[in-house]
Amino acid sequence: MSIFLQVLAWVFLIFGTLMSLIGVIGFVRLPDVYTRLHATGKVSVFGVVFLLLAADILTPLVTWKSLLLIFFVLMASPSVAHSIASAAYRTGIPITGNRDELATKLDNRPPKGLLLK
Amino acid sequence: MPMRFFQITLPLFIVYLVLTGNLTLPNLVVGLLVATGISVLLPPIELPPFSLARLPSFLWAGFRYVFVVAWDVLKGALSTARIVLDPQLPLNPGIIAIPSGSKTELGTALSAHAITLSPGEMVIAIDDDGVMYTHCLNVDDSARYKDEAQALRKNLLSKMFE
Repeated sequence: MSIFLQVLAWVFLIFGTLMSLIGVIGFVRLPDVYTRLHATGKVSVFGVVFLLLAADILTPLVTWKSLLLIFFVLMASPSVAHSIASAAYRTGIPITGNRDELATKLDNRPPKGLLLK
Repeated sequence: MPMRFFQITLPLFIVYLVLTGNLTLPNLVVGLLVATGISVLLPPIELPPFSLARLPSFLWAGFRYVFVVAWDVLKGALSTARIVLDPQLPLNPGIIAIPSGSKTELGTALSAHAITLSPGEMVIAIDDDGVMYTHCLNVDDSARYKDEAQALRKNLLSKMFE
């Protein structure tokens, strides 16, 4: 393996670990479940993507496999964040901040209309 | 049912083979069983009709969509990381309504997916008219740019599916 690829893989590895760490810090620092989902659903996922890229270079056997895994992680993580947020909102967990257009919508029509298709 | 086989079972089977990386007969049989089982368990879904003439433009739009989304992910992760690490924690969270402007369910779902990956935004609920209620880390910025951003996504998605 060329020294360039090796260095690139280490950069990815360090960056991915850093991103995962920031995701955890965000989970601790942010105020409510919705903002915390931004940290875990984006920053940590991004960390995983970079760790997979590093694995892609360092272990030549899994080239297409890790690319496919990155694709699946990117497809699945928004759905997961969305369903957790949706469940949290419907069970009435309060939201930090003062602008909530969903609440005014809910006042006008029965909550049934909000059910996901 | 045969259409369903080509649209769901066969792609699932191929993905299984790629992930296991093993072309022996037992693995082929297990993969086919798993793919068939999943496609039987899935509720009936409406996929856009397949046409060979539209395939190149579909693939090109899909290719571009992947890169636009990847760029959004990068920006989203970095901006969220910056907010998290800022000692002041500059947050202004809130929920705004963004009309998806798409008529098909698949189009609305993909719009919601792209929004959730883009910087500081996450879809919480979708109502019957396709309006996406989006949680934003910085609600004023998102409200200001929501129409432009949605127009860009919609343009790309309509090239793929309409």
